[in-house]
Amino acid sequence: DLEGRDGSLPDFTTEQYKDAYSRINAIVIEGEKEAHDNYVAIGTVIPEKADELKKLAIMELRHMKGFTACGKNLGVVADMEFAQRFFAPLHGNFQKALENGKITTCFLIQAILIEAFAISAYHVYIRVADPFAKKITEGVVKDEYLHLNYGQEWLKANLATCKDELIAANKENLPLINSMLDQVANDAQVLYMEKEELMEEFMIAYQDSLMEIGLDAREIARMALAAIA
Amino acid sequence: MFGLIGHSTSFDDAKKKAMDLGYDHIAQGDLDVWCSAPPQLVEHVNIVSAIGKNIEGAYIDSCFVPEMLGRFKTARRKVLNAMELAQKKGINITALGGFTSIIFENFNLLQNKQVRNTTLEWERFTTGNTHTAWVICRQLELNAPLLGIDLKKARVAVVGATGDIGSAVCRWLSERTGVQELLLVARQQQPLIELQKSLGGGKILGLEDALPEADVVIWVASLPKTLEIDKAKLRKPCLMIDGGYPKNLDEKFNGSGVHVLKGGIVEFFTDIGWSMMELAAMEKPRREMFACFAEAMLLEFEGCHTNFSWGRNNITLEKMDFIGQASEKHGFSVIGLNPKLQAAIA
Ligand SMILES: NC(=O)C1=CN([C@@H]2O[C@H](COP(=O)(O)OP(=O)(O)OC[C@H]3O[C@@H](n4cnc5c(N)ncnc54)[C@H](OP(=O)(O)O)[C@@H]3O)[C@@H](O)[C@H]2O)C=CC1
Ligand SMILES: [Fe+2]
Ligand SMILES: [Fe+2]
Repeated sequence: DLEGRDGSLPDFTTEQYKDAYSRINAIVIEGEKEAHDNYVAIGTVIPEKADELKKLAIMELRHMKGFTACGKNLGVVADMEFAQRFFAPLHGNFQKALENGKITTCFLIQAILIEAFAISAYHVYIRVADPFAKKITEGVVKDEYLHLNYGQEWLKANLATCKDELIAANKENLPLINSMLDQVANDAQVLYMEKEELMEEFMIAYQDSLMEIGLDAREIARMALAAIA
Repeated sequence: MFGLIGHSTSFDDAKKKAMDLGYDHIAQGDLDVWCSAPPQLVEHVNIVSAIGKNIEGAYIDSCFVPEMLGRFKTARRKVLNAMELAQKKGINITALGGFTSIIFENFNLLQNKQVRNTTLEWERFTTGNTHTAWVICRQLELNAPLLGIDLKKARVAVVGATGDIGSAVCRWLSERTGVQELLLVARQQQPLIELQKSLGGGKILGLEDALPEADVVIWVASLPKTLEIDKAKLRKPCLMIDGGYPKNLDEKFNGSGVHVLKGGIVEFFTDIGWSMMELAAMEKPRREMFACFAEAMLLEFEGCHTNFSWGRNNITLEKMDFIGQASEKHGFSVIGLNPKLQAAIA
């Protein structure tokens, strides 16, 4: 039937919730830390943008502190080892691109894929977060749009020369995002965040940003859906 | 700019459509993939009306399919995300086609004004139900006489009488058309009683009892029709106006002497350069379309940027007059019975 209820909030105090939160929270903290490092690293390859990138990096550190506080507030110890393992493949690809001076790939991984992933996850989380975390996450997600936008602008300005690399980098890295999502699907579910919704939110953010960069609708659908279909 | 939010009639159709459009990856995905797929703006179009007004529009596929109706959260997301996309694209007036408006109403999406960082502006959207109701009434008035049905002596059953479209149709037929009797069909009794009171007439009947009595049956119920109907019990001639979605009554009554008309469909006076209606299985895909979609065009032609059809039970005869006049003025006509059939009857 066409009946339906609106989602209620999870019980933030159960062991089950805290256990799942220890990994999700760690991923977020690690993600923010790596985002900081990545923007600083990109700045070393494009020195004329180093100052701007440094500003983004500082925001990421602030995010990291905010999310650390969210874990503390719930009495949860973040499982940082898990988080490092979680990010290792993407981290590895970023480092490899950096060593080879592949700026397009670096921007795609950090400023598009990771930012779109963060934006989508934060949007879904905001709907089911505890009040303390909700407030912090709402502030963070606004910043992440700035970062996504920064990456977009750079790629848009350089599209003529970077399109092939962009498509290749997408092909290699988007599946990683999908498998990362798979790995946390069960924990996310405990937090009332559904994989289906996370994926959809990601696709929307990702698709929008490819559109901004200047790709056409079919190219985008092909790129974006390569991960799930 | 006007917008249309549409969806496929079934999951199989959707996959075929995606393949035709070159979205191979999603075409090959299973239902879960579709549940995660974002809305797509698939087509832009330019239209010049019969009086020379020039407008632009866009077609958005919400990636919803009726198989998702059981998944409340999914269906809700599909509708809201498609609306957000329409608004982000700066579209002034967008029609919520097919199940979209029904999901919006039945799931009470009015309380979901905030979609991510977009605050939905309701005045940018219309259900298109006023035009749909007007078109269905005109289809009845024009086609019943062709079958030798004298409306003054006819019983007209409205299945879904208490719905947004159904109630408007009832009001029009009782005040403007003057049919002998309205047979009011729906499941819940209380709304039926209230409708009967407001109409000052009409007979409340169950579907089984209404069908054998009806010279004309108008189907405007919101759920897929799985019911079995005994053709032998129907009157002959009987005009059936299939205003439901999907339109599948034709197959049920094929060859039984009952005349089925695709309800709520209009034809534009000239070809439109889009391919979307081919996929919506219209007979003349360059000219035919759902009346609800046409309403968004009409509002754009008229520069009437407001949620013209909105909520439930707000359709007045004045509004039907306005949209009906605009419809004729800009070059739309309602779909009638197949001309071959008309010749055979004559
Ligand atoms: N151009 C077109 O072709 C268009 C077609 N439509 C279609 O028109 C139909 C009606 O739309 P709308 O008026 O907005 O919908 P509503 O939800 O407002 O109304 C639905 C009506 O159908 C009744 N109904 C539902 N299920 C049954 C059933 N099993 N048996 C009898 N009555 C039933 C409801 O009453 P109760 O619940 O009490 O039974 C109610 O009266 C839909 O199928 C929609 O898709 C809509 C727009 C455009
Ligand atoms: Fe961040
Ligand atoms: Fe960021």
